[in-house]
This record gives sequence, C-alpha cells and structure tokens, in this order.
Amino acid sequence: MTGTVRRPAVFSADDPRLVAVEADEAQRHAAQIEADAVDAADQLPAVQAAPKRRVPWASMFWSALSGLVVLGLGLAVSKLVEDLFARAPWLGAIGLALAVIAGLALLVLILREVIGLARLATVEALRRRATEIVISDDRNDGRALVADMLSLTKRMPVLARARARLAEHRSDIIDGRDLIRLAERELMTPLDAEARRLVVAASKRVSVVTAISPRAAVDMIFVLVNGLRLVRQIAVLYGARPGTLGVLKLLRQVISHLAVTGGIGLSDSLLQQVIGHGLATRLSARLGEGMVNGLLTARLGLLTIDQVRPLPFQELPRPALGDLAGTLMRSTSGRGDSAGAPGKNAAP
Amino acid sequence: MHEAVTLTVSDIIEQARQAARAFAEFGESLLHPTVRLGVTGLSRAGKTVFITALVHGLVRGGRFPVFEAMSSGRIAGARLTPQPDDAVPRFDYERHVRVLVEERAWPDSTRQISELRVVIDYQSASGSMRTLTLDIVDYPGEWLLDLPLLGKSYEQWSAQTLAHLRRLVPATLAAPYLAHVATVDALAPADENAAIEAARLFTQCLIDCRKTHDTLSMVAPGRFLMPGDLAGSPALTFAPLVMPESGELPLGSNGAMMRRRYDAYRDVVVRPFFREHFARLDRQIVLVDVLAALGGGPAALRDLQDAMTAVLECFRVGRGGWLNALFSPRADKLLFAATKADQVHHSGHDRLEAILKRMTDAAIARAGDAGAEVDVIALAAVRATREALVRGEGGGLPSIVGVAAPGTGPEGRSFDGLAEVAVFPGDLPADVSALFDDAGAPLAGGIPEGDFRSIRFRPPALEKTEDGVPALPHIRLDRALQFLIGDRLR
Repeated sequence: MTGTVRRPAVFSADDPRLVAVEADEAQRHAAQIEADAVDAADQLPAVQAAPKRRVPWASMFWSALSGLVVLGLGLAVSKLVEDLFARAPWLGAIGLALAVIAGLALLVLILREVIGLARLATVEALRRRATEIVISDDRNDGRALVADMLSLTKRMPVLARARARLAEHRSDIIDGRDLIRLAERELMTPLDAEARRLVVAASKRVSVVTAISPRAAVDMIFVLVNGLRLVRQIAVLYGARPGTLGVLKLLRQVISHLAVTGGIGLSDSLLQQVIGHGLATRLSARLGEGMVNGLLTARLGLLTIDQVRPLPFQELPRPALGDLAGTLMRSTSGRGDSAGAPGKNAAP
Repeated sequence: MHEAVTLTVSDIIEQARQAARAFAEFGESLLHPTVRLGVTGLSRAGKTVFITALVHGLVRGGRFPVFEAMSSGRIAGARLTPQPDDAVPRFDYERHVRVLVEERAWPDSTRQISELRVVIDYQSASGSMRTLTLDIVDYPGEWLLDLPLLGKSYEQWSAQTLAHLRRLVPATLAAPYLAHVATVDALAPADENAAIEAARLFTQCLIDCRKTHDTLSMVAPGRFLMPGDLAGSPALTFAPLVMPESGELPLGSNGAMMRRRYDAYRDVVVRPFFREHFARLDRQIVLVDVLAALGGGPAALRDLQDAMTAVLECFRVGRGGWLNALFSPRADKLLFAATKADQVHHSGHDRLEAILKRMTDAAIARAGDAGAEVDVIALAAVRATREALVRGEGGGLPSIVGVAAPGTGPEGRSFDGLAEVAVFPGDLPADVSALFDDAGAPLAGGIPEGDFRSIRFRPPALEKTEDGVPALPHIRLDRALQFLIGDRLR
C-alpha cells in the first residue's frame, strides 16, 4: 500500500470492514504494554551499556576476584562436606543439606537483587523516554509511556483515583508532551508531596540526633544509616523498589551527583546555609553541626528524587533545598528553644 | 507629496489615540486582570464555533485534561457578565449553543461584530482567590481582509485587484465589470452615475466570486458584501479603475473621486475596526481552515496563503516591557490553529500542523523575532466525528465516522444528513516541501485535486443528562486554552 496514493473513500457505517478504533487500540495498547515491559527488562543491560566506555579494567578485576572467591568458597564447602562424610555419614548428610539450603537461599537473594536493579533501570528508562517525548511531542510514544506509567503505579493505592482519571483520557487525542505533563500532574503530585515529607522528616531526625548525640562517631553512623534508609524509602515510593544492591547503586549515583552538583547547589543555598549555620552556631556549636548534617541529608533526598522519579520535572515544581531548608530551620530552631523539653514531638 | 504628508499625520493621530486608550486600559487591568483574546480567521474558518465551544467549556466545566487550571480543580467557576463596550452587540452564545446541540447544525456565518465577557474565578497556585476577565470578540471573517488595505494606496489597490480579476477562473465572473471599467476614464471629470454603476458591478462580481469559490479569500473590501447601514454611502461606492501610466489625477476627475472614497472607506470602516479589535489584543488565536483549501486544490491553497500573508502583516505581536504595555499593547502569544481537525484521523494531525506551519512561516518568524510566543496546533473546537479503521490491505484505512452534512460527497455519493458514514479523506502529503516552493508559495502540482477530500459533518449528537448538557467533545481545545490563558491563571 505504501507508495501508492490512497484515494478518498466513503463507507456506510454498517460496512463489515469497519472496526471501531478505540476498543481495538486499547487492546493493542495493553498488549503493547506487556511487550514493552518485557522488552524494557530484556534490554536493560544493553541500555545501560549505551554510554560507551573503554575497557572496564576495574570491574573486570572485581568480577574476576569475586569469581575466585565464589570458587574458593565452593571448594571449601565441598571439601567440608567430604570431610564430614568421611567422619560419619549422618554428619555428611546434614552438611550437604545445609549447603544446599545455603546455595538456594543465595540464588534467591541474587535473583531478588537482579530484579531490584532491573526495576531501577526500568524507572530510569521511563524517565529518559519521557524526556525524549517532551522534545519530540510524539503522540504514540506518549500513549505507550502513559500505559507503562499506569502499569508501574498499579500497586500504589494512593493513586487509584489518579490512575482512573488518567486512563479515562487515554483515548482522547492529546499530544505527547501534553500527555507527559498530564501524567506527571496526575500521578506524581501525591508522590512528590510524600517524598518531600520523607526528606524533611529524615533531615529533622538527623539534625536532632547530631545535636544531642554524645560522640561524633555516633552521629556519623546515624547520618549514614538514615541516608541509606531515606534513599530506599524514596525509591520504593516512586515505584523503583530496589534491593540492597539497588540502593547502594542509587546511593553511589546520588553521591557522585552530589559531588558534581555540590558546587552548583552551594551557590544557590550557600547564603542561607552560612547565615543559618552562623546563627545556629551562635546558639550552640552542636546545633550548627546538626543543621549542616540535616541539610546534607535533605540534599541527598532531593538528589535521590531526581534519580528515581519516573517522569522528569516538567509541569510540577522541582522541590528545592530552599523550601525544605526553611521548614527544617524553623523546626530545628524551635527544638533548640525547647531543648529543655524533650517531650515535645518534632514530627508534623 | 501632499498625500504622503496627510497619511503620516493621520497615522500619528491614530497611534496617539491607541496609546491613550492603552494607557487607560493598563490602569484598569491592574485592578481587574483582563485578557483580550483575539479570535482571528477568514470566513468559514470556525471562529463562532470556537468561541462557543470555549465559553461553553469554561462555563459548564468541559473535559479539559490539558488545561491545568481546570483539570487540577483550581477554577471555581466561570460566568458571563455584561461586556464593557456598550455599542457592540453581545455574542449570542445561548443561541449558538442551542443550534449546535439541539438542531445539530453549525451556526450561520457571522454577519456582524459581537462581543462576550467571561469572568473566571480561580484560586492561584499560592492559594489566594482571584478573578480573570476574558474578553472575546467575534466578527465576520470577510472584514479581516480589509486590514491589508491600511497599507495600500488606492492606486496600488486598483492595480492589484484588476490584475486579480483578470486572472479569475471562470472569466465570465469578472467580465461585466471589466467591460464596464474599460469605458470609465480615470482622468475624465467625475461622473456619479458611472461610479454607482461601477460599484454595483464590482460588488456583484465579489458576491459571485464568493459563491463560486468556497474558499476564495480575496474579497476585499469586505464591507461590500455586508454593507449594513453604510449601504449606498459614498464610502461604499467606489471600485478599482484603470490608472494612467503616470502623472497626478486631476482634481474632480473620476480617479480622484474614487481615491477619496477609498480613503474614506479606510477611515470610516477599516481603521475603527482595527483600532477597536486588533490593536488591543493580549492573546491571539488565528484559525485557518487548511483542510478545505487542501480539498479545493492548488488554486484554493494559494488563495488562502495569499490572504493569510496579507492579514498577518497587520498584526502587532511581541512582548513589550512595561512601557510598551502602557502605550501599545501587543499580543504576546500567538497560536495558529488548523481548524476542523476532526475531518482527518489523528494520525494525520502532525502533517496538518506541518502544512500550516509552512504556510505561516513568515509570520511565525516575525512574531518570534518580536518576542512573542508562537505555537501551531491542529484543532477541532467541536469534534463531530469519532475514529475507526476500515479493514483492508496494508493495515486498513484510518477513517473517521460521523453524520455527514446533507450534500454530495466523493464518488458522487449523496448524504441525507441522518445516516452515519465512515470517511477516509485521503492522505495528507507527508512532505511539506512537495506542496510549497522555497519561497513558500504553493506549488501547482502539490496535491492533485481529488486526492484529498474534506467533508463537512454535522455536530455530534449529545445525550442530555439530568444536570443539563454534557460537555462538547473537542480536539486540543484544552491545549489551546492552556497556551492562551494558562499562564494568566497561575
């Protein structure tokens, strides 16, 4: 058919060749969603490799080393089992059973981690696609992305109504860019609010603990643990649900971003930080340290949001350190004033 | 020499008048934020339907997912209020809605100017309750073609119009007038009867042209077709004459009389229209019926392109500083919309937009240079069709289903205006450069006649619910709204 001119034609409405397009398209879309999801999962390693690097000596080293370690472990275990069998058959049987259970559990753990990483990559792929659609304004891509977003968020009860509203508009003629904005407004608004709350709560916790902790080592550990927890919470909130490795990977990305954007971020909030820090230090040195740690956690949280949000910030405002810092400082100063009354609760 | 001076003086007075008015309005807009929305389009571009659908959607709460303020629930309500200009008739919104919904017919073509004011109560993103006043003006599309006259002298206009008439197909249309004009000597002493006869024949020629060519757009001066209370006045009793090669027109000659009347027409009719409705716009949407022109073949497309280029020359666009806003308001957002997009399947909308973009290239570039924000969309203010697929080889034909307006369609089929039909209107050209040459003029062989056919459909049937009329279906009306007034509702 391509190449030839398709002439205008008129058919009566009861022509048997006529098929309603909406239902048909919706079905095709549903099938497409499944296919896309599978594809996305399949293509992940390829997608990840897209920015071409040189020979990855470091990762080769680590992979080879961990392979050796696994081999060594396997050897040791099999030797152990053999020794046990040599001593007494029933002892050997128990050893074997334990080894099998351990191996199985390890396998499941690895599988879970891989799935977690894949999910994280899916979210990343979604965001990249959304960014591309905003530029290309392609309607079909937009529809496919909205369908993917609906399936990504289908386990979030908060979004039931938003999902219904969005699904209603899927058969409307809306352009790609507008579809992305619509999906962002419908699906991301409640999640953004929740993420903001998580970040504020975590940074408050960090500030308070730093301010009252007896030793520097304690608050260092607390900051680290709390940061990890925050990263995980935010990732789960946006539907990434990463495993332990996923969280670590995310943390690595976030920290490398922190290093890059730290300088930039510094310029916009340096003033308030210095002023805030200065004021707080006047009140108490520990309070000032608490504030700095709190702001660090907040920044960590914001960067994590950037990394795991499945849609780019188009329509909704990107949460800035400024809005959070205000809340944070107010609450911390309030806490400083009421330091003598520990019964007062900081949680909103 | 003398003429040039008077022209400049009258221009300066005109500018001063506009500046004074803008100043007064600036003061008022500080108290009551107001957006004057210009809905521009040649006749049959769909201005009235667009305004009706827009107001209906705002007042009755339409389905506007892309219009952020409404879909996120920040608009508390919108209501019609008395308009500011007491001398202008009110836009008969209620009647148009009734015609659309109950009689399922499109509103008649607009005969006179009218105005409507909508007040939107909304809550800003920061939480305070505010109102935005939206003033919308409807006018006959024929009048729009008068605007280019502002920049033309009588001599230029005569030459261009006569050249156009001589090119006309079929030649019989203009023959009586051209025969008469050959007998009128521009240098001879003024003869009132000859002038009346010339104006009569010229008007008849314009009316015939409009009847024959559905999309013919060069019908200036537009007031000849709808004279209203100016009928028979000298300002409407002129016609193009054959001008002498050189030399001044002597006082009291036919030519001088015609020139004086042409100038009077510009002063009495065109200038006030421009002043009242075009020089004061904040936002502008230009509706263009590209599909009808495509269906009409290369000549119709060329015609449309010429008219649009001439009209768009007159617009004031650009983002000004506060000083600019004080003295000469300009439209700072300009939206070009290819209307009646429901006549093609949505897969053709991108091509439709590309064609319109190519047609209005020059205007877009100029507006962009002046700092105005420009966008191009395919739009259907009231969507009369739904989409379907006709199975066949090659994936089938992406078609549209609706009730065609009574008349004859392609393949000599006749429609009774009751039964639904599925229509495949033909493919729009994928490559815009096949339609237009490098200078932007349409090519003769761009889209062969018969390869694309636009068909008029009747407005959609709506089922009434208990709380009145449900929202009218549309295509991208919400996107147009978001672009035009979305930023004023933040």
